[in-house]
Amino acid sequence: MTLSAFRVRLVISTRFVRDFVVPPEPLIIRHQQAVLPSIPSLTVPRRAMTREYRRPGEPIDNRFPWQKIDFDFSRGLEGLKNNIMLIKKELSDPWVGPEGKPILEHMLEQNRVIWEFKGPESLEQWILSSDLEIGGKSEINLRMGKNGQSCFLSGNLDSTPPRDGETRYSGYCTMRSKQPQSFFNRKKHYDWSSFNTLHLRVRGDGRPWMINIGTETYFSHQKNDIYCYFMYTRGGPYWQEIKIPFSKFFLSSCGRVQDSQHPLWLDKVNTVGFTLGDKADGPFQLEIDFIGVCRDYAHTEQCAYESYKRNPEV
Amino acid sequence: MTRIRFLLQLQGLGQVGLSRFAAQHGALLQSAFCLQPNLIKNAQRQVIKHFHGSLVCAKRNSVPSAQPLNEDKKSNDSALIHADLFDHVSGTFKTKATFNKAIDVFIKSDVRRRGHVEFIYAALKKMPEFGVERDLAVYNKLLDVFPKGVFVPRNFIQRMFNHYPRQQECGVQILEQMENYGIMPNLETKVLLVQIFGEKGHPVRKYQRIMYWFPKFKELNPWPIPKDLPTDPVDLARFSLARIADDLDAQVTVYQVPHTDVTEKGEHVTLPHIVGIQSPNQIELLAKHNPDRPVFIEGPFPLWLRKTCVHYYILRADPTPADEKEECPYDPESCLAYPLALDLDLDRDMGDDETFDVEICNEGPVFAMCMTGQGDEATLNQWISGLQQKNPILGQVPVLFLLEGRTTELKISSDKESDSQNSQHEDHQTQDRRSKVEANR
Repeated sequence: MTLSAFRVRLVISTRFVRDFVVPPEPLIIRHQQAVLPSIPSLTVPRRAMTREYRRPGEPIDNRFPWQKIDFDFSRGLEGLKNNIMLIKKELSDPWVGPEGKPILEHMLEQNRVIWEFKGPESLEQWILSSDLEIGGKSEINLRMGKNGQSCFLSGNLDSTPPRDGETRYSGYCTMRSKQPQSFFNRKKHYDWSSFNTLHLRVRGDGRPWMINIGTETYFSHQKNDIYCYFMYTRGGPYWQEIKIPFSKFFLSSCGRVQDSQHPLWLDKVNTVGFTLGDKADGPFQLEIDFIGVCRDYAHTEQCAYESYKRNPEV
Repeated sequence: MTRIRFLLQLQGLGQVGLSRFAAQHGALLQSAFCLQPNLIKNAQRQVIKHFHGSLVCAKRNSVPSAQPLNEDKKSNDSALIHADLFDHVSGTFKTKATFNKAIDVFIKSDVRRRGHVEFIYAALKKMPEFGVERDLAVYNKLLDVFPKGVFVPRNFIQRMFNHYPRQQECGVQILEQMENYGIMPNLETKVLLVQIFGEKGHPVRKYQRIMYWFPKFKELNPWPIPKDLPTDPVDLARFSLARIADDLDAQVTVYQVPHTDVTEKGEHVTLPHIVGIQSPNQIELLAKHNPDRPVFIEGPFPLWLRKTCVHYYILRADPTPADEKEECPYDPESCLAYPLALDLDLDRDMGDDETFDVEICNEGPVFAMCMTGQGDEATLNQWISGLQQKNPILGQVPVLFLLEGRTTELKISSDKESDSQNSQHEDHQTQDRRSKVEANR
């Protein structure tokens, strides 16, 4: 047990609890295992495409996969409708140009708005989660801003760790974009390889956030890999424009910064997320106007971290 | 310091006489840390002792044993005992000195430092209680509890497998707690870790990782916040207003200093502080504001400075409708050195468009911001009266309060007596506005 615990890549900080993965396994295994009553599943937004987190003390779900299916006719119809729309889009787009844009526009594009918030339906592209899933007490909710032109992310951060005897850290709130999908639930990815900077227009309350970019990976052990960087907000009544070069993003897995860093590959980006976990208990708020990517010709850096050696050299 | 460097160099040459150097250096550290001078002798004697030595050898030196530990030795649950040790030693005074004393008591109690892993875990847990969780010296002292040289792998097989895993985990745990509190280890930490776990142990690697990443992330915040915020509310308000105003020309004005007044009836009335900020641009904007349209005092909005939350209020207006907007061309002669408007007809290439195709969220102008200890209308009204000295237009503009959960209208006039009358007075426009505001909430 100790060996395997040590093989957890002991890197650095758990302060940045990640976007979609549970806080790292505790290194220290307590000898007295508390016998906990089974905790009923909490009503939190479901997270797609990641394995469920099983809280310590919760019984293992031994049901077969087909037993977990809950069939709903109306939802099926909805899905069918969505799929037909997606097929239609997929068929009609190539007639206009790549990605449904005229070829000239596609080739000369300098910047692209990925998400903007112009109506309640734009909020459906986001998944919220907080440490409620691991038994914490943070809350998060998302709604449209006062004038209906931005999204307003607010909630309450509480870093009391859950009393399950194993979890040592808690207190995170996160918002993550859904992975784009093609018809028949096929995965689609954002291709941002012609851009090098992430551009956001936000208004925060002075708290630091973390931006997480999840990319498509090949091996299953990389499924927790995520590229992170910090987003500092100034606070106050003014909007701020934040430009973060993609070269600054560092690789982390399960909340641990990795030794071997490499540049973020932008051709298959799945998700972008915002995480708050600054250990300051209390209410928070963040307004986002739009999220875009742009090409900054003045920025030529590929990766901000040394990649010719292990980082740090050990 | 030179001694430490010398030590490191020697170790780099190949672990020559590790235990001897460890002993010497340990003694050095001990003498540096020990608070009571009469303990130094014992501590030195202990460190110099070889840990792989025979039992007889260990027995020959009289082992000073602490009284509280002897009776509990048989018990198994030693982590709890160590927690008790801290309470026992410290008594009612939980300070750094008593924490160090507890560590000294443990070090002296047993020459083999039996149960030191549990002791360290207990100490780590107790640290916030004693207020030493951000003290690097204490962490180093805690690392010093580990016996030196015992856990250093001696051959490649030991190095390959996890040598003394529980002790290494414990070492990593100390570093992780340091990391969580944002403490950067120093060279002394490294020397200790190398002495305890060898050059390539997991704690040493963790140390290297911290030393690689911490300096990279240390100065990232473009709007840094000092570690110790000013305790005086006026200073704090001054700092936070300057932070959020985002304008170097903006001027902070203290409208009211917190003080306690005694009224005629003998009651003590505490007046809150009112600190406001306004830049010349904002004064100009407010002067151009259409007096028919109301301005709003909105708030409180939270602002977080590390772990403290302060609240501010803003004076703003609704965005001017398109038909009222007037183009104001820059006066080219206002600044000859730096022309404010340049109309160069440069040939731009296709796709040289650097603006985003998005309709950005348009909000009305912000005219001023303030912070106050008490966010009621009377206090904010005082702020507006103070603002009126520089912005005479505020005498004509209706001012609406959009405070948390309440909406009232209050018109600032030159005489302050009419406050109560004005708050009762409501016209249709205000009611419309109010319903709109409530709909927005």
